[in-house]
Amino acid sequence: MREEFKVALAQISCKHGDKAANIKKMKKNLEKAKQQGAELVIFPELSLIGYTVKDEIYELAETIPGQSTNALEKLAKEKGIHIVFGMPELSERTEATIYNTAVLIGQDGFIGKYRKMYLPTHSVFEEKRYFRQGYHAEAFETELGKIGLIICYDIFFPEVSRLTRLKGAKLIVCISASPAVRRTFFETLTVARAMENTAFLAYVNLVGVEDGLQFWGGSRLIDSSGKILAKAKYDEEDLVIGKVKYADMRSAETFVPTLRDLRPELFDELKEGAEQL
Amino acid sequence: MELTPSILDLDWSEVETKIGRFIRDYIEKSGAKGIVLGLSGGLDSSTAAALSALAVGGDKVLGLLLPEKETYNIQDVKHAKLVAEKFGLKTEMIDITTALKAFYNTIPVFETADKLCKGNIKARTRMIYLYYYANKLSLIVCGSSDKSETMIGYFTKWGDVAADISPLMDLYKTQVRKLAQRIGVPKEILAKPASPALWPGQLAEEELGVKYETLDLILYGLEHFMKTEEIAQQLGIKKSLVDKIKSRWLVMEHKRRMPLTIKVQYRTVGFDFRLPRELH
Repeated sequence: MREEFKVALAQISCKHGDKAANIKKMKKNLEKAKQQGAELVIFPELSLIGYTVKDEIYELAETIPGQSTNALEKLAKEKGIHIVFGMPELSERTEATIYNTAVLIGQDGFIGKYRKMYLPTHSVFEEKRYFRQGYHAEAFETELGKIGLIICYDIFFPEVSRLTRLKGAKLIVCISASPAVRRTFFETLTVARAMENTAFLAYVNLVGVEDGLQFWGGSRLIDSSGKILAKAKYDEEDLVIGKVKYADMRSAETFVPTLRDLRPELFDELKEGAEQL
Repeated sequence: MELTPSILDLDWSEVETKIGRFIRDYIEKSGAKGIVLGLSGGLDSSTAAALSALAVGGDKVLGLLLPEKETYNIQDVKHAKLVAEKFGLKTEMIDITTALKAFYNTIPVFETADKLCKGNIKARTRMIYLYYYANKLSLIVCGSSDKSETMIGYFTKWGDVAADISPLMDLYKTQVRKLAQRIGVPKEILAKPASPALWPGQLAEEELGVKYETLDLILYGLEHFMKTEEIAQQLGIKKSLVDKIKSRWLVMEHKRRMPLTIKVQYRTVGFDFRLPRELH
């Protein structure tokens, strides 16, 4: 397992519903990232199709594996690189049950997927209208260490990141499609999730204007003590590289030993409280 | 939440950038050659024109001055020209009096004393001119409605509100004034009292019975789910005024939507079709 490696935060805008164009853009970013020595390239939530496709999602959703994951697997193999991207995943057992999914691919092919657990359905968001929620936090063994996947609004619920950490994730990848008025929340919560879990956190947000929503970008790599190691521009496409060095987690974890101090018995209380809310 | 004027402060540089990007992005995606908008010489249309010119370049923005005899005001025309000159817009002035008279003379039930119905003809006639130019020259129509008037329905249905994009629609009137100041809209325009100019001497604040400074705070409170009692108490105004504004906001929803239909089939416009507005 690699103890140190470079991560590329590929903050792209997407063309509505145009998978070929978006994959082409991903390919360009992979090439650029590879040239700069990155071993993992992360794209935003639903980066295969754009965020606000609405009813068109039924035509755009694909099973995993499927045509698009095959295309991305091919790219990962060609470039010898790991990729995380987002797509609408059609359940294999149904015709129109869709998940908002993050996919992790390595140079040897598909590694794993995570289905978004918290689907925002308030304000400008309509995700429960289109997606079924996921039921499991996920962290996957890779050559780059164990990687946990979360998606956007999941970050408001510390238990999702915490679960990936308890499963062994050292790097939590959060892919996102956050419009501009939410920036303060994410800038706070990304740092908080890294600190409270003493883990690296890579946040990659969409940019561009879709249906009157301006996605704010601001992607960042944060280390286990909450320091921002790399930060992309606001509002514009960008590709920035940051370095993950797992050895640094030791000092963070000894300085504020949040994992040592976890109190499992409180989780039962939390469950009861949530049920009675 | 404290309803003080400072609550309406925004990062104006960011707002300017965001609106500019929105306009540019829409023009690019729609494939239009530019923008056409009505220039009345008032605050909102001057600001929309300035933002459009800053976003895509004044040479791609056509401002139509559409005066008519009854409400003709030389100051307004001067102000419209001032903005056009400052931001490098192309302009065209068309006197619409003859067109209006044709309507007045051919509507059997026309009553000149009914100021509102008559005034609405003016706003809708201007819309026809704007859309003719848009069609003919492959332009998009940029509206200048602000959030205050949109929320309380203080506009002509299918008239001045008709547009392809409305970049100011999420800014209250007092916020538009601040943004206008920042981007350099001439100060004589900033200081003008708002008027839809549907009839001579019409003034928005007089007609609405409330100053925009107060109206905007009331609307901000409603936007943030505050109760009318709380808004009235915080602003030191009568609850009846806040209730009146609230009911006006609610009752005007029909002016902000596609026409209502009765659902008879599988998927219906305005109900359960959810399609992205942007072109692919």
